[in-house]
Amino acid sequence: MDITLQFGQITPHLPYLLGGAWLSLQIAFLAFCGGMMLGLLGATALSFGPRWLRALVGAYVGFFMNTPQLVQIYFIFFALPDAGLLMEPYEAVLLGMTLNAGAYLTEIQRAGFTSIHRTELEAAQTIGFSLMQSVRYVILPHIMKVLFPPLSNHYILMTLGTSMAAIFGVEELTGRALNLNSQTFRSIEVFSITAGLYIVITFIATTLLALVGRGFFRARMRIL
Amino acid sequence: MRHLDIVDLRADYGSHTVLERINLEVGKGEIVSLIGPSGSGKSTLLRVILGLLPPIAGEVRIGGQTIDYRNKRDVKAIRSRVAVVFQQYNLFQNMDVLRNVTIAPVKVKGRPRAEVEEEAKLLLTRVGLGDKLKSYPDQLSGGQQQRVAIARALALKPEILLLDEVTSALDPELVNEVLDTIRDLATEGMTMLIVSHEMAFVREVSSKVVFMAAGHVVETGPPKQIFDNPQMARTQDFVGKILRH
Ligand SMILES: Nc1ncnc2c1ncn2[C@@H]1O[C@H](COP(=O)(O)OP(=O)(O)OP(=O)(O)O)[C@@H](O)[C@H]1O
Ligand SMILES: [Mg+2]
Repeated sequence: MDITLQFGQITPHLPYLLGGAWLSLQIAFLAFCGGMMLGLLGATALSFGPRWLRALVGAYVGFFMNTPQLVQIYFIFFALPDAGLLMEPYEAVLLGMTLNAGAYLTEIQRAGFTSIHRTELEAAQTIGFSLMQSVRYVILPHIMKVLFPPLSNHYILMTLGTSMAAIFGVEELTGRALNLNSQTFRSIEVFSITAGLYIVITFIATTLLALVGRGFFRARMRIL
Repeated sequence: MRHLDIVDLRADYGSHTVLERINLEVGKGEIVSLIGPSGSGKSTLLRVILGLLPPIAGEVRIGGQTIDYRNKRDVKAIRSRVAVVFQQYNLFQNMDVLRNVTIAPVKVKGRPRAEVEEEAKLLLTRVGLGDKLKSYPDQLSGGQQQRVAIARALALKPEILLLDEVTSALDPELVNEVLDTIRDLATEGMTMLIVSHEMAFVREVSSKVVFMAAGHVVETGPPKQIFDNPQMARTQDFVGKILRH
């Protein structure tokens, strides 16, 4: 068998793939931001809410952490229209990924809450800090330091997870790679370039996040 | 002149009474030490004075003024007049040494940063940490952290300093550097209430020793009395055990 790689056939399509990568980044970013807000609400509810609310949030987190994300998105895409909620594939993917992220980020942020040192807070009180000052100068910086690494990891995972959108016909990076593959039949070239693009994206994101985490929050993060 | 006055104080944790009918006086520039077995309520007494645990009955007076712990302004005022150093250093882990010391005077008292920083540098030099301004707590030894905690308390220019077993979490080699710092303060006339297990040190610096057990003050007297000639059986028992070590 003789395989000759012909990247030359693919390179003209690079801008097309890059456009897909841009959409991947957007989906990951939007779902992450939405998930962060859900997670903040969820973690607050779990830490301070009444019992019924904790049970409700617990069920939400349990459901989304114990079922495949793909099944969750299928459910939103195919089952919700029966209930009168029609959605574009892009919207279904975004909603699914946001809800899924919300569950994971609830757990991560709750861990941040429980890591607050009671004694450090007491020290803040005894030197005369108000509650707002304690939050601003002691609690938030502490939480950021503890949470920045796991949040960054989850963000990277979500960036890669956007490839699931291709199944629903969304033309993000993997979706466009599939299109290109069926046009050119240069599978090895197409998918190695696609994999390379994912690596570049995650490498840049990891490095930037580690620089921010180390620079601003004294988080323990490795820079590759 | 009485500086800190505690009268018939009682405090509970939930339904559990931890302090009962506590009476104690600290004169201006005086050093009073609290000793007693674990769980006798020494730390709780300091927490009550600072308004971290509201008293059920009795009074705390500073310079003759009774503190109303239900009044936020009173609580804030007492925290600016009385500073505390805890057993665990409780430094802010996300701030370097200089910021740990300067943040309260700047953010709480609203003093100019430059001026506060100059004072903080002097304070830190005095406790032997003039070269650690930019270090973070997790880069310091226990003794160094504890001395930063003392400097942070002093930066607020308190009238009264409360020290809660500031050496008990330290390795023996580090104890002396912290005790030296406290000795310095003593010679400068700072009013102090000290909880300590370092009996030799207590005997050396205190003008009065208060022995507590099970939430009560059992005996109060000069160190000579408490250590050499205790009047109460409970005190004799405790002192006997401690000094035999
Ligand atoms: N946060 C709390 N909630 C409930 N009970 C508490 C709390 N902190 C302390 N106690 C109880 O209050 C009593 C007095 O505790 P405290 O810490 O004042 O003792 P202590 O004399 O400082 O002891 P040690 O020498 O071990 O530091 C103990 O019986 C303790 O179990
Ligand atoms: Mg104690």
